[in-house]
Amino acid sequence: MKALKIKKSMQVAVSTVAVASLIAACGNGGESTGTGSNGSGSGGGETVTLRMIESLTNPDRTAMLNTMIDKFEEENPNIKVELISPPFEQADTKIRTMLAAKQELDVLESRDLNVAEFVNNGYLEPLDDYAAKWSDFETVTSVARAVGTTQEKLYFISNGMYQRQMFYRADWLKEKGIEVPKTYEELVNAAVALTDPANNRYGFSFRGGPGSNSVPDTMVRDYNADNVDLTDPNFLKSGATIFSTPEAKAAIELYVKLYKEASPPDSVNWGFQEQVQAFTSGVTAFLLQDPDVIASLQNDMEEGTWSSAMMPVGPAGKALISAGGAGWSLASHSKHKEEAWKLIAFLSNPEQNTIFSKGYGTIPIHSTAVEDEFFQSGPYKTLIEMTNLPETYLNFKATVDYPANGQWGTLNMETGQRMLLGQATVEDTLKEWDNFWTKAKEAVK
Amino acid sequence: MTKQRTFILFSLLPALLLLAVFTFYPFFRGVVMAFQNYVLFDLTNVRFIGFQNFENAFNDPKFLYALRNSAIWVVSSLTLQFLIGLSLALVLRRGFRGRGVYQGFVFYSWALSGFLIGLIWKWMFNSQMGVVNDLLMRAGLIEQRIGFLSDPNWAMVSVIVANVWYGIAFFAIMLLAALQSVPAELYEAAGMDGAGAIRKFFSVTLPYIVPTIIATTLLRAIWIFNDPSLIYGLTNGGPAGSTHILSSLMMEKILSGGDYGSASAIGVIMLAMLMLYTVFYLFVTKSEKVGDF
Repeated sequence: MKALKIKKSMQVAVSTVAVASLIAACGNGGESTGTGSNGSGSGGGETVTLRMIESLTNPDRTAMLNTMIDKFEEENPNIKVELISPPFEQADTKIRTMLAAKQELDVLESRDLNVAEFVNNGYLEPLDDYAAKWSDFETVTSVARAVGTTQEKLYFISNGMYQRQMFYRADWLKEKGIEVPKTYEELVNAAVALTDPANNRYGFSFRGGPGSNSVPDTMVRDYNADNVDLTDPNFLKSGATIFSTPEAKAAIELYVKLYKEASPPDSVNWGFQEQVQAFTSGVTAFLLQDPDVIASLQNDMEEGTWSSAMMPVGPAGKALISAGGAGWSLASHSKHKEEAWKLIAFLSNPEQNTIFSKGYGTIPIHSTAVEDEFFQSGPYKTLIEMTNLPETYLNFKATVDYPANGQWGTLNMETGQRMLLGQATVEDTLKEWDNFWTKAKEAVK
Repeated sequence: MTKQRTFILFSLLPALLLLAVFTFYPFFRGVVMAFQNYVLFDLTNVRFIGFQNFENAFNDPKFLYALRNSAIWVVSSLTLQFLIGLSLALVLRRGFRGRGVYQGFVFYSWALSGFLIGLIWKWMFNSQMGVVNDLLMRAGLIEQRIGFLSDPNWAMVSVIVANVWYGIAFFAIMLLAALQSVPAELYEAAGMDGAGAIRKFFSVTLPYIVPTIIATTLLRAIWIFNDPSLIYGLTNGGPAGSTHILSSLMMEKILSGGDYGSASAIGVIMLAMLMLYTVFYLFVTKSEKVGDF
């Protein structure tokens, strides 16, 4: 009898332990990696484990980041870094969720698109004080500083700048005797002339799916030219939205023509991958993209078949350009801010940033690095040329201060698709876009 | 006796606790959120707003469209998956050379994730570079490339085709298992009574596998209804929202707007619909035999 009792209580004990360890295992994700404190590492002091998450994930870039992190760990034996790399499509949601749930996180990648939202929710630590003590900050370009600044405080150190340019099929243009287009009007005409559906050849690598807003936004700004408020580029100097003018209508009508007469019908649904793939596989003639596609163009296309040019301009001979960027932020709830800043400063130093920019195809953030031979030739040269023509290419500060930014992409995609498919008129669509930004502005007042 | 009872209860506690923490709490939280203004961009302004989220949903043409799409999506996917799955199972029941290999190929799709299948079919359906258009062109069946995913009239058909491909394996596996359990003597006996192949199918095979059919179609309908992954990977609800079903719309509310309130409201509506469906389905099919395989 007694033996049975003991057996039972043993069973209880065992099952309790099993459950407890199971629960502990489930909770692990958030807890275990905080302050690891095994002093066994070299240096003798306490080892700190930093958690870091990236947003613009792609396999090559992650590998590059890991190499940089290894080097950092070598130089700082007391700091371990755990890099989290969610798939690109879900990364920002994952970051947002981790921040909202106050999960252990020290360094995160903020983007110009979502930094305002993070700042409004108090998730980020201002970096001004840290940067003031950082010797490499002197050579960080003003564009790179601007992109990381929200509400007059610095919230991320950009890891590279993106700026759009035009890529085109040099051989096709030559074959047809068409000049490289300088304006949108010329671009659309050239694209129409090169379109030949019977041979599965189209003028323009259109993108009507995720990320669709980029081309219409740019065209509408270029058509409004001097009237656009360069510090708040979805609005005019008068305060109205850029979508409310007759110029906007002219721009969007041309944009619809570009889709209907010069782009693959399928492209109403295309995102980044399809858009680039269509260009590299010889379906389309023109592609407007950031420099991070250069590596894949160089890999997948024969030399001499493609080239790059400056962005087209609007009817007034002007275009608005902006360097976008993403970069490293410090989470406000981080328990290891000093160490986390050390990591940010390391990743952003001229040497590491130049390696990263070359590998990933962005423009470096240090003025000293832009002088590197690598960035003075080929497709990168076009980008530098554009910045050297400040009268034609007006530099604006990307709209980062509106929390509504996050929803603009989806709204633009859906209403845009309806317009491109002929289910809605240009006027009605512009009215919707106008309403969206008017409301967005009211919301932040 | 009471001690034993206490012990049983005590032993159940860990399981109950796990369920409470990982199933009931999130469920309860989701229902509560459906009545709140809960937007991720605006967490300082979380408050109860009554039935506002539900009202918004029913006033949104997109929601109504997704509701209609959900019905088309479930009924046509399920019917085709079942019919093709059943025919495959009937074919696979007979032994033939290379059956094992063939079976492997048939069941292979079931091992993939829905999202991945979406991405694969997205490239196959691509009108400029996709293999489907290429084959149809080479076969001389079409003159012009079809925008399977960009033409709103084709898009829904295309996602259903992909979904049918995905789900056939499930029915084939389950029905094959049921078919193999039909005793051979029954066929012999039926044969002696003069039944032909068709008669045998309807009088022996079918009655024997009916419980499996009920259980599998019931389960599969709920899965199809709930699973946004294929649509998310394939069209993301596009073009112009023409392929949204309720679950993909719910996901979009969260991913693009961080609007957990509206998303939860859609979730609660879906839950109510599924409960009604299950009760109705079990009632008309007389539930006592379900799961008896």
